[in-house]
Amino acid sequence: MKSNKLNLTDKIKPKVDGFNNKVLQPIKSWFSKYISKKTFIVIKKTFFDIYSLKKLIITIIFLLFVPTIFIFLPTGVDFGLISTHHAATIISIAILFPVFFFTLGIFFALMIGFSGSSLIAEEVKSGTMLILVSKPISRIKIFLGKYIAVIFYGMLISFISIFTLGWIGVLMKSGNIDHFISLLPFLTALYLYSLFILFLFTSITMALSSIFKKPRTVSITVFILVIFSFIAFFLIRTFIGQFYGIYQIYHFDLGYHLGNVFVLFIETLNAIPPSAAWQMLFGQLTGVYSLTSSIDPDQGINLGGLEKTNYYLPIFSLLIWVLIAALLLFFGIWSLKKREISI
Amino acid sequence: MIQKKLKINYEVWSERLTKIYGKGNEALEAVSKIDLRVKPGVHGFLGPNGAGKTTTYHMLVGAISITEGKAKIRGKKAGSVAAKQVIGFLPQDPVFYEDMSGEDYLIYMGQLGGLKSKEAKRKAQELLDYFDMFDARNREIGKYSGGMKQKIGIATALIHDPKVLILDEPTANLDPLGRADVIKKIRDLSDKVSVFVSSHILSEIEQMCEDVTMINHGKIVISDSIKNIKKSYVSNLYILDTDMNEKFLEMLKNIDFISKVRIEEIDGKIHIIPKDQDKLRELIPQMLIKNKATLYSFYQPELSLQDIFMEIMAKKEDIEK
Repeated sequence: MKSNKLNLTDKIKPKVDGFNNKVLQPIKSWFSKYISKKTFIVIKKTFFDIYSLKKLIITIIFLLFVPTIFIFLPTGVDFGLISTHHAATIISIAILFPVFFFTLGIFFALMIGFSGSSLIAEEVKSGTMLILVSKPISRIKIFLGKYIAVIFYGMLISFISIFTLGWIGVLMKSGNIDHFISLLPFLTALYLYSLFILFLFTSITMALSSIFKKPRTVSITVFILVIFSFIAFFLIRTFIGQFYGIYQIYHFDLGYHLGNVFVLFIETLNAIPPSAAWQMLFGQLTGVYSLTSSIDPDQGINLGGLEKTNYYLPIFSLLIWVLIAALLLFFGIWSLKKREISI
Repeated sequence: MIQKKLKINYEVWSERLTKIYGKGNEALEAVSKIDLRVKPGVHGFLGPNGAGKTTTYHMLVGAISITEGKAKIRGKKAGSVAAKQVIGFLPQDPVFYEDMSGEDYLIYMGQLGGLKSKEAKRKAQELLDYFDMFDARNREIGKYSGGMKQKIGIATALIHDPKVLILDEPTANLDPLGRADVIKKIRDLSDKVSVFVSSHILSEIEQMCEDVTMINHGKIVISDSIKNIKKSYVSNLYILDTDMNEKFLEMLKNIDFISKVRIEEIDGKIHIIPKDQDKLRELIPQMLIKNKATLYSFYQPELSLQDIFMEIMAKKEDIEK
């Protein structure tokens, strides 16, 4: 028995060592090489450059403004008579669209764009970067320090916004704390989605900030991208919907992919039950649902919700855009590394 | 091996260091194949505006790429983190985070230079005190005067205890008092660190440096100790002052062994650069007797670096023509 144990250990040990040597060690050495004390010093400085209490409050008011209006719209439901789960679903649906389109859509992406646009471009343009790059710190650390600071700031903003919104929803609709607890899977799904948006738009912004000379050019480019993602493709889908599928426009439709990822998080955390009530509008706005009911062909029963267009599997949309964000992150690092810093 | 040892012995060393901006027909060679040899001490880097000094410095500190050739700082590849650890750099017209206080800025830069938080604070206060700015340590840099900003710039370069200071026009935009103060500080600092300092004001360099490298149009014109340069140029210039300078000037212009002759506007005396000094020394007394002129003075002055620089530049231009 003892020898069997030993044999098992002997068999596993080389595999564990191999995993350590091939996977963990390179990751550890990469982290220790580029995420050092100096990186944290840049993170701290950049974070407090972006952050101010006044700015934070104004940003959060902006982010919460539209969904709060939606919360005030009457639902005609007596929250005292329905189950906690049902109440949480109604509150979720009430804020779903404004959160997707405004709070974590247009406003959040623009907030990241405006906060991050100046971080490299402005420093190069003004001349402060010249002293910075002459110090014994690699440009990769400078880039990562600024990048991570934007990520931390975005995480803080989205966390406060999402959970404040949850409270506003519960307080306005029912005032029952149990409803907030039932709302947590939905709020968690929103937060995870916000991290995805944060990663994507921080990578886009910082990559642009590394190549463009003027911070304004970076902001304008992010603005155009956001408008295209959330509005232009929606209009294309609405007015020339017949060509959308034929010409496979969905490949380039960031709005569709974002909707797809959003639905992935909602479904994975079982945040809102599938129902045509929200999928209909979501389908029209993002193209994720095909606007036809999902009927069981054998029994003729509505399975609860609409069929998906499935141009892409949601997980693929997530992976593709995470990969794009990662590539943009590396492109940003590479661009700054190669950039001529001179006044 | 010997070559490697040589590179380490120099504070700054370069071989065929070149910077070309642009490509094809629009390519501009800002620095052309320069070989720098900067020994410990204070080394001046001279040249008119646009000569290539700043471009060279930017290559040495890793702000811009090197097109061709190589450069080392104390044996470490220029632009590498290891090289930047041993250099402190003050750019021409430095730009700071204007909303930060002088002390906070120095602490931040010190930490980036590898100092611990407490150590950075101690060093920052020490430097602020050294530059007579301790009382202004909590003031925003944006509210500092030009002279104070320049001092903060030098303090920033010094914060992480570098071995070599690279200072690009440290006295630019300063009033005479500010200049004198900065020059004094640089001379004091040279006891602890080597300084590679640029200026287009040559009298300042003369006050600070033992060795100089002169650069023009991206190429090194001369590189030696000021002493040697002066020694080699001192014998060439003669100054003559008589009661008929205008007449003498016209006569001297026609003498074949005289390469240059002119009346200096400042003192009104005749400055002569002969090809054959013996012949000139014979000729002047003869001319004085023949023209019954009164001699006020005839001597060889010790040339200032400015005179030598002008002369070298003039010679270069003659050769190029």
